[in-house]
Amino acid sequence: MSDPKKQRRLWYTVGGVLIVAFLAYGATSFKSNLTPYVSFEEAQRSPRKVQVAGGLVPDSTSYLEAEETLQFGMVEDGGATMTVRYEGVKPGNFEEATQIVAIGTYSSGVFHAEQLLVKCPSKYQGIDEAPRSYGSET
Amino acid sequence: MGRVGATLKWLLLIWMLVVIWAAFLWVPSAQGFKGESSRIVFFHVPTAWVATLAFLVSCIASVMYLRRRSPVDDHRAAVSAGLGLLFAILATVTGAIFARIMWGAYWNWDPRQTSITILLLIYAAYFALRGAVPDPEKRATLAAVYSILAFVTVPFLVFVVPRIYFSLHPDVVTNPDPDNRLDSAHALVLLASTMGFTGLYAWLYSVGSRIEAIRHRRRQEVL
Repeated sequence: MSDPKKQRRLWYTVGGVLIVAFLAYGATSFKSNLTPYVSFEEAQRSPRKVQVAGGLVPDSTSYLEAEETLQFGMVEDGGATMTVRYEGVKPGNFEEATQIVAIGTYSSGVFHAEQLLVKCPSKYQGIDEAPRSYGSET
Repeated sequence: MGRVGATLKWLLLIWMLVVIWAAFLWVPSAQGFKGESSRIVFFHVPTAWVATLAFLVSCIASVMYLRRRSPVDDHRAAVSAGLGLLFAILATVTGAIFARIMWGAYWNWDPRQTSITILLLIYAAYFALRGAVPDPEKRATLAAVYSILAFVTVPFLVFVVPRIYFSLHPDVVTNPDPDNRLDSAHALVLLASTMGFTGLYAWLYSVGSRIEAIRHRRRQEVL
């Protein structure tokens, strides 16, 4: 209390420690809770509704027009695959999907999706331009 | 405000009108997007950028307040945090609209959506804190410390989270794949729009700071 300089330094130290602690807390506590996506393995164990994310297994799509049932294989980052069934109209350009999010539950070997989020390849490049030949500049 | 300020204000209006025209009519439709949804990038990215900038300015003003103890710095910090919150909400809304069109749902707690929600709550709490302390000096000190702590989370929530987790969110500005970058028309309009939105923020910030200064003076006169 007697030396204001010392006191100020103390406050700076306390502030610095607080900021570092805050960062560390943020990094650790958010890590597991921030993403809603679970792994396929977790989805198969969980009885609750979960979200899984991954890519589309090429040529795995089959669609029954009459019953509006879409079935396809989904592949995870680590390489695990899972069969997904979705009852509803097939989203447009589904075969081109680069990333798929399925929301639903897993039972008896199949993931029953209630909702599908589909991301198709897109570029912020005009479609009016002539198609480019990439990699041929040299 | 002076003549320079007035001129800048009109220039900003013309600039923004040109940006809006270019965003909707001049830039060609983009590859692979549903409808014209790609055009939202010219408003979504600048609002997110301005929100980050505004939170940074609030943090700097808060540091200044703790050093100088001038009520002006406190007003600046509060005005900038308010603008940051406004632009962060705009970024959230434009993002949700894009998500509905492109992926099929307004909201699915994608990591980007979760992180901006946390950010909105953190800065909403800043105003709850300000509203809860009646003594101006105590309020300014507490708010300044809180604003600095709040900004510590911003780089984490805005830049780190989307790069750690799987996310549907497009990564156009820092995309490592050169084939996926913006073409020159998109890049030009995005840059112009970002500059325009930054100017808009600067103008709102100056108006807000002056309003706070007048309020402060009137309170002093009453006392």
